[in-house]
Amino acid sequence: MHPRFEETAAILEARFAEGSAVPWTDDAFGSHAFAVFVVQYESCSVYRSLCDARGITPANLAAWTDIPAVPATAFKYFDFIDDGAGAPEATFRTSGTTRGDEARGRHLVPRLSLYRAALLAPLRAALMPDRGRARFISLIPNPVEVPDSSLSYMVGAAADTLAGGIDWLVDAAGAWSSETEAVCRRAAATGEPVVLLGTALAFQHAIERAARGEPSLGRLPDGSRVMETGGFKGATRHVSRDELHGGITSLTGIPAERIVNEYGMTELLSQLWEPVLVEGLAGRGVHRPAPWLRVRALDPVTLHPVPEGRDGILCFFDLANLGSVAHVLTEDVGSVVDGRVRLRGRAPGAEPRGCSRAMDELMSAAGQP
Amino acid sequence: MRRLGPGGQGVGAREASAGDVREACARLRAAGPELIRRSTDDIAGVLGVVGVRFLDSDDPLRREALERLPHESGLSPRMASEVLEGMASDWSAERLRRMLRAEFGDPRCLDRPTELNGRRLMAHGPGLCVQIVSGSVPGVGVHALLRSLLVKAPTLIKPGRGDELLTELFAQGLGEVDSGLAGALAVLRWRGGSEAIEREAMTAADVAIVYGSDATVGALRAMAPATTRVVGYHHRTGVALVGRDSEPDRAASDLARSVAFFDQRGCVCPHRTWVETGGPLDAMDFAARVAQAMAHLESSLPAAPLSPEEASALQQLRGTAELRAGASGGRVWHGGAAAPWTVIFEPDPVPGPTTLARGVRVHALQDLEVAGEALAPLGEHLQTVGYAGFGARLDRLMEIAGRSGASRVVPLRAMSFPPPWWLHDGRGPLLELVRWVEVEAER
Repeated sequence: MHPRFEETAAILEARFAEGSAVPWTDDAFGSHAFAVFVVQYESCSVYRSLCDARGITPANLAAWTDIPAVPATAFKYFDFIDDGAGAPEATFRTSGTTRGDEARGRHLVPRLSLYRAALLAPLRAALMPDRGRARFISLIPNPVEVPDSSLSYMVGAAADTLAGGIDWLVDAAGAWSSETEAVCRRAAATGEPVVLLGTALAFQHAIERAARGEPSLGRLPDGSRVMETGGFKGATRHVSRDELHGGITSLTGIPAERIVNEYGMTELLSQLWEPVLVEGLAGRGVHRPAPWLRVRALDPVTLHPVPEGRDGILCFFDLANLGSVAHVLTEDVGSVVDGRVRLRGRAPGAEPRGCSRAMDELMSAAGQP
Repeated sequence: MRRLGPGGQGVGAREASAGDVREACARLRAAGPELIRRSTDDIAGVLGVVGVRFLDSDDPLRREALERLPHESGLSPRMASEVLEGMASDWSAERLRRMLRAEFGDPRCLDRPTELNGRRLMAHGPGLCVQIVSGSVPGVGVHALLRSLLVKAPTLIKPGRGDELLTELFAQGLGEVDSGLAGALAVLRWRGGSEAIEREAMTAADVAIVYGSDATVGALRAMAPATTRVVGYHHRTGVALVGRDSEPDRAASDLARSVAFFDQRGCVCPHRTWVETGGPLDAMDFAARVAQAMAHLESSLPAAPLSPEEASALQQLRGTAELRAGASGGRVWHGGAAAPWTVIFEPDPVPGPTTLARGVRVHALQDLEVAGEALAPLGEHLQTVGYAGFGARLDRLMEIAGRSGASRVVPLRAMSFPPPWWLHDGRGPLLELVRWVEVEAER
């Protein structure tokens, strides 16, 4: 590993542990970003060659925003990791897209403690601002079953620290536990609020199961809250958010003001959260990044930042990505106001117009790095 | 962000309902007998009269087409004009008659029993042909309706999004010259994937022609009764092979033109190019020349502005290509924020995001004899192979390309506009539509 990796990681972990409530100054963020860039530039030859081609090196860097961003798509084709790193502690894979036949991206993580440090404080602030511990009920599969899911890892790691026990209700194949109803009944009997975590798709399944009279989620104690994440990528269902939340409320009794959306992606180890538990429904529709994650909305043609409040493609600089690459240009569309993001949606891949086949999907059949 | 290109157009144009489709199908079927009474030659003549109106600069049809096409198709005005020119030059009676001869030998077999190769045969078009076209290449809809009308099939057509204008103008023009023939044609709009409407159409058809992605074609096919003939034109792609005897500047300029045409939306547009090495040609040098030609074309044949989604996809493509270039000795040239063209030299083909909006990958090829391996992954999606510089090895090229799935092997410059009689995806498009009847005499 790069000689400065451990030291930089330790400094960042310590800062992440201070919590996510207080924003970082531009100077503080910038100096950490520079340290991260030095490590990544010097240790990852694929990334270095891009920086060299663009004429940006640690020696001439003026601002962190000038650090070359890699396209999120590139995670499908390259491993961004220290050339001298041994086996990573984890390999997370993206879930693929609606087109299905593409290569999946992967994110190699040399040091999971940095991920844990990055995920904990924002998750606690978003889901448990008022509680030290709570029981977790997860519709996201157990990381033991799905070791390549960064989302499963997040839930597992959060549960290890913040949960007074966790029930995993859905397995890796999407099958529901026969204990589902009993788990909800037991939780209801204790009267202690729980944290219910799942993808939008899993919640939709729960709602449909209940409608068919199959065992599904039941009422949960007052004060319980929901983490809902992800859209319907790759799925055949599309329901509006209000419909989905209405369904969750009628199943569990958890009202909309305690349903929190999480926005994350495999390529980034930090997440963004809707601050609804703190700010009420005013916090709906905006996502707050951790202080160590900065987001810019860029013009898709020029890549210049668009004015505050205007839609652009989102570009992230995530210090928690120290072990891979911190600056990532996505295809997600949204606007940024005061550091917070209003997501417009995901516009991946602009289906090719016309009758031309997206031929490179064909070439990608064996396309893992 | 601004939203440009197809998708915005047609706002306000009425979308058909399943009831509209049902009604149109009944009306079209009733128009069948009138169509059958006409001779094929006469029909070709009338269609040609309408077709050439799109080439006559004084004709209001052409003027309207040129005025509205850039907006409705999302192509630059210059490109839209070239596309119209290229497409409509195949809509003349002479070209249509040549297509009929190419497929039937003696097209009178569509009018009456005819002696063909010692057999007594007659060809019948379907009582109702439904054409569901997708894709935004302008003119494809007109080509499609010409085919079915030529075999005397009353035709319901749903043009692709961005291709409504020419299809509708053609129908309008037909109405102006021949109301009988126009009564056998209905152009309806609906949003592709509208299941109730498409089921209605697929159920009503005797023969259905469907264009679209593999998924679209599959879904439509599944809607048709077992007795309905469904011809699917699924997604395809083009490639270019540049032989070692090419004149590099000319080949690069021809290739650039074929990449740029339709802003690379066509299945005839090349996405990857293999340059045969082992002679005077250097693949990277060739790629540089293509880049130069692409830049040059921006002034004579400008690209349309990209939608935000396309612009975003292009950033992913370019960024990934730059990473690849650094990692494995390739190179990337592109038009920056000013122009969407992108030329990527990668010595060997490697997976990467799809090129779009005038993007092409250039690879080295040791020898034509190993081209089959390079093309193999494209399989059933390969369609057009553009070439230059194979001299006496042309038959060999055809054999190899054909084995790899191609159905069309043409000079680089000719890739964009296949003639009406081309073997669309390997089959005669008119023959696909008809049913033959043979009579055997008593002896």
